[in-house]
Amino acid sequence: MPLLRMRKACFRLGSWSVAPVTLDVGPCELAARTFASPREAAVVALLAAGIAKASSGCVLIGDYDPRLQSVACKRIAGFIPHEPVALDERDFGAYIAYRAALWNVDARLAFARAAELRAALGDMHEAFALPLIGALIAMPELIVLDRPVPAYAERILRVAEGRAVFSTHTNVAAARAFRRSAVLRASQA
Amino acid sequence: MTFRALTALVAARLYEQRRVVIYACAAALLVGLLQPREAAGPVMFCSFLGILMALAQSPGRYPHLDRCEQSAPLFGRELARAKALVPCIAAALATTAYAAAAFVGGAPNAPYAFAIALAAVIATTLIALSATLRLGSSRALYVLLAALAGAIAYALAVAAHSLLAELGFCAIASFLALRQYGEALARYDPI
Repeated sequence: MPLLRMRKACFRLGSWSVAPVTLDVGPCELAARTFASPREAAVVALLAAGIAKASSGCVLIGDYDPRLQSVACKRIAGFIPHEPVALDERDFGAYIAYRAALWNVDARLAFARAAELRAALGDMHEAFALPLIGALIAMPELIVLDRPVPAYAERILRVAEGRAVFSTHTNVAAARAFRRSAVLRASQA
Repeated sequence: MTFRALTALVAARLYEQRRVVIYACAAALLVGLLQPREAAGPVMFCSFLGILMALAQSPGRYPHLDRCEQSAPLFGRELARAKALVPCIAAALATTAYAAAAFVGGAPNAPYAFAIALAAVIATTLIALSATLRLGSSRALYVLLAALAGAIAYALAVAAHSLLAELGFCAIASFLALRQYGEALARYDPI
């Protein structure tokens, strides 16, 4: 059963709209999609994470409809925004405590997971690492990345091991970097 | 929503807005020292500060907090209650600073004026919160509505000499405003 199912999912805002998206992402699968504009990529990522509601068509996250059961959807999907977080390592503890409280994760467990993830991410810049760690401490089954940095593809997929990943991109090369990393990881396994 | 999540959300927002809160308290303290006599001062000035604090919760001002809150598994009404607490706390602090300055300045009815002002400030702040999710004329309308609520509260307490009527009006207005904000936040699309 797919964790993320989008059927002709469309978002309209006035005269502007996102072209209908149809895709399935199963458990442990990766889907990297390219979109015509950054705005379109951002909106599709928000739809896939259950944060925005589709104007037409259907989005199901683990069989839950974000229009009716958005809380259940948000327990399954972890969203990592495109914009880096303007925090540094000094704020790391406060940020993890904040995320753990919002997702109702045990604080000690969250800090242990965060330390492991920080080590696994290596020299990844904290502005990009913190949102990823923050999303992963809640152990989501699906990770939705809005235009992630392709240079970090290998590290992101390493820490997202065992989870479904959906990423949106604005250029083909970035999407290909994610697909290539996924294939490499699969072949190594 | 757990108490832990509520306190985390409120603390994070208050921490991000700490400068604005400090400036608001300092301004209230100064105005309280200069104009301690009448109840109009704390009601009008602190309501104005409450409206400003409410507008500071508009989406986009603290994008990373907005994204975390939007992606967290919380219901709209829970999020509304937590977000509403932030400007209410800030406005209550400013009102307390005003009242303290008025008391030090020798205002005869400082505790009475404080009670009137606090009720009015909470009501205006909660009404103004709904403006944060709207644009254009409807945003301006909510701000005007908040100012009007402050004026009505003042009129009931000072012109009609009924503190009970003022407290009743503010309680009803606050309840309706919070419900309205929760409904609007549940329907709000962050795009």
